Amino acid sequence: MTSPSTGAPDVLVSARGLEVHFPVRSGGALRRTTGLLRAVDGVDLDVHRGETLGLVGESGCGKSTLGNALLRLVPPTGGTVTFDGADVTRMGRRELRELRRRAGMVFQDPFASLDPRRTVAQTVAEPLEVHGLHPGRQARAARVRELLQLVGLDPGVAARYPHEFSGGQRQRVGIARALAGEPDFLVCDEAIASLDVSVQAQVLNLLRRLQRQLGLTLLFISHDLSAVRHVSDRIAVMYLGRVVEVGPASAVAAEPQMPYTRALLSAVPLPHPQLERSRQRIVLRGDVPSPSRVPSGCRFRTRCPDVFAPCPDVDPALQPVGSAPGHVAACHLHGVVGTPVERERPDAPVDAGDPAA
Amino acid sequence: MTQLPTPGATPAAPPPSEPLPTAAPPRPRWRETLGLLARNPTAAVSAVVLVLIVLMAVFDETLAPDGPNDQDPSLQLQPPSWDHPFGTDEFGRDILSRVVLGAATSLRVGFLSVAFALVVGTLIGLLAGFYGRWVDDTLMRLMDVLFAFPAVLLAIAIVAIRGAGPANAILAIGIVYVPIFARVTRASVLGVREEVYVRASRSVGASDWRLITRHVLPNAAPPIIVQTSISLAFAVLAEAALSFLGLGPRRPNPSWGLMLADGRGFIDQAWWYTVFPGLAIVVTVLCFNLLGDGLRDVLDPRQRTLMAGGGR
Amino acid sequence: MTAPVLEVEDLRVDLRTPRGTAHVVNGLSYTVGAGETVAVVGESGSGKSVSVLALLGLLPARTATVTGRALLDGEDLLTMSPERLRQVRGPGVGMVFQDPMTSLNPVLTVGRQLTEGLRAHGTPSKAAARARAVELLGEVGLPDPGRAVDRYPHELSGGMRQRVVIAIALSNSPSLLIADEATTALDVTVQAQILDLVERLRTEHGTGVVWITHDLGVVAGIADRVLVMYGGRCVEDGTVDDVLERPVHPYTRGLLGALPDLATDDDADLATIPGTPPPPTDLPPGCVFWPRCPVRGDTRCETEQPPLAVVGAGGRALPHRAATWCAEREAS
Repeated sequence: MTSPSTGAPDVLVSARGLEVHFPVRSGGALRRTTGLLRAVDGVDLDVHRGETLGLVGESGCGKSTLGNALLRLVPPTGGTVTFDGADVTRMGRRELRELRRRAGMVFQDPFASLDPRRTVAQTVAEPLEVHGLHPGRQARAARVRELLQLVGLDPGVAARYPHEFSGGQRQRVGIARALAGEPDFLVCDEAIASLDVSVQAQVLNLLRRLQRQLGLTLLFISHDLSAVRHVSDRIAVMYLGRVVEVGPASAVAAEPQMPYTRALLSAVPLPHPQLERSRQRIVLRGDVPSPSRVPSGCRFRTRCPDVFAPCPDVDPALQPVGSAPGHVAACHLHGVVGTPVERERPDAPVDAGDPAA
Repeated sequence: MTQLPTPGATPAAPPPSEPLPTAAPPRPRWRETLGLLARNPTAAVSAVVLVLIVLMAVFDETLAPDGPNDQDPSLQLQPPSWDHPFGTDEFGRDILSRVVLGAATSLRVGFLSVAFALVVGTLIGLLAGFYGRWVDDTLMRLMDVLFAFPAVLLAIAIVAIRGAGPANAILAIGIVYVPIFARVTRASVLGVREEVYVRASRSVGASDWRLITRHVLPNAAPPIIVQTSISLAFAVLAEAALSFLGLGPRRPNPSWGLMLADGRGFIDQAWWYTVFPGLAIVVTVLCFNLLGDGLRDVLDPRQRTLMAGGGR
Repeated sequence: MTAPVLEVEDLRVDLRTPRGTAHVVNGLSYTVGAGETVAVVGESGSGKSVSVLALLGLLPARTATVTGRALLDGEDLLTMSPERLRQVRGPGVGMVFQDPMTSLNPVLTVGRQLTEGLRAHGTPSKAAARARAVELLGEVGLPDPGRAVDRYPHELSGGMRQRVVIAIALSNSPSLLIADEATTALDVTVQAQILDLVERLRTEHGTGVVWITHDLGVVAGIADRVLVMYGGRCVEDGTVDDVLERPVHPYTRGLLGALPDLATDDDADLATIPGTPPPPTDLPPGCVFWPRCPVRGDTRCETEQPPLAVVGAGGRALPHRAATWCAEREAS
């Protein structure tokens, strides 16, 4: 398996062959397992200390599950995750608690991620209580005020309830909660997707400022390529449970090496009418296949405009591509590298996925 | 390791870029709830009547004009009069006094049995809903079995095994209502469990106990509160039914159901004997039901937003 | 220029709320020509969605007061009888909303839902309606339309459902298509497919399109004309090039500045618009954007409402207009 890292960068979080498979159960009393939903299906990914890694992909590609699995908020069913050298999948209760302190999460919907029955202070203070930080009423209140200030809120709002705030303000509260335990690692799961454009900009700016100011390592999960491009140092692209391209943000955005990344980038509408009119979009055929029926070999082949002979037969591995160092992609166009697909009957027709579907 | 800057060293955080809420200091939630309830006239009146009934039950000895068991053979089955506004029974006992004193018995049975069902049922529902899988399957199948028995039959069976008397009536009625609370709680918990704020709390390391007590239970409570109010109504009825069947509190101390049972034999000669205890039951049950409906409206977040003019 | 498909004049919508009357739409005027796409842009609370719901009579009559005129092929939608309005929705106006499931009945097959509309408005025989349904599904790019016609909505993906909704909206060849954040919930690659589809239908059938969105990128690709809404008012309108390339209103400029740009390698902070939109129950007396405006000037901005006035070169068929005092100040 090709490792996306060359060993030089300081890796904080690392996934190897990570799998999260959910059993698909039939209804009825017996609940037989009828299939597997491969939400995350063999992901290799490194997050370097102090960087912002953007994770993009379409809905259902498993990017959110991956973010949760890295923190063991969803139990991985295979592979390993290490956090600062420690194996996350084997952590005991105490280590797991320490992981929860050292890794925070910011959620998508700021209206849903705050308990409506708890004040801003109670919400932000929860990690402090859970981990016994800043003990004492006074110290805790002071810390909450400090955190609110840090995210650009007036500390005077501590006693208020979430419904009194706008979406952007609530998201700031969510960020303050995630920062309360002084984490090293912050996972932002579609953290700006539910916000208005002008508010998105505020939150993006805030995240960038916090990242620099606190030296955070950030995993920025989003379907919004422009936003990812703006905040990220590196970008990882996911398709159907697999990371298919990783590289420096500028390289991935300017010279995408995998046809899916190219299509994805070309589909992003830009607010420039001239550009939009002249631009050649790569319009993909059909929809993403269901993660319970992953095509054999390269999983993008059913929609790929450049599909050719080895695609159904060899599961492509990440390999160095392009000119930028650290730019890797899983695509046979750059040389057929990967695991050959095992077939029960070698003479059987090439799998079910119909390229025209 | 990341160190947050100390307050003094915080590089000037940008000033809040949005106007912050400037409304009056937030009121505690229960006071807001009471305020909203007061604007619902039916529920408010019901609540007041119930408070009066409870006060009556508490101060029964002081309020009752006569002793409950003071017999006066000369006053057998007297119709309502100035001296005895609700009339008298076959032993010449004052029915008003017995209704007042019966309130204590009926309500005590009602409150205690519902309290039992509330605690046990909510606990079962919480565990089943929060942990799911085999915990859910086991507990809820058990509840289904319990639920499958006709309520009165179950209560009769329990009383038959343990003997008649107030304590066993409470236990019997309580057990009958456990599955209802378990189901209501489970359904509510299932919804709350999936809320993002529960996941968020888990992501900062909160324990299951903390999740359940701080986030799940408070947010799952509204339907349980409504169910409590409605169950109180049914429990008062059930007490009456058990007493009527002779399985509840013992004579001679009055309870409303017992009075109905005793009055049945005289229904053609003395309507007041059954009508006044019956009315007491109707009023109490009605008020619990109306209060339950009112609470349902008030505790529904959407309704709440509309009524309070607050929200998103 | 041919007669416009839709002509909206001084549309106003007031909603009664517990906190007072909300002035959600305040004097909106625009026209949509045949085969023309008008994009209505704004953030949440700008009144963009309410303004079209009002046209279609879809606001609760108990709380909403709608005034103004909205001529669809010369007939006023706002004074129409409810029966006539029902007849008009369908053959006259097709609607597509953000969540396709809100417009699809989960217990009926896709085909049933398509043929229902067809048969209610003319196509007589069952077989003919079915054939037309298959044809329509093919037209909107659904793979294997012959099979898809017997599927239930839950068996389709989000993108396919939205295509079905578009097929239903187009089933009676309406002269006007209204899409309210129709691609917001979809992935960019699927969005690209839907935008292509709408573009094709517009050129082939000459359908007028009102496209409501917050996404300026989508606007740049699809619109002929753009209308920027803020606080229930149109603050700027003009051709898509005028508004996106040469914005005049500080709000439009702010919105564009707040967008991260995929094309450039700019590391600077994004521009933001401070504050939040004014509540529709309590709009400022002067320029609606005044409280948040980064370049707000004299007391005139605060007290006097700027009219929607032509900026730049006048005399064109589609003038570039903006409701701001800034243009005047910049000029002088």
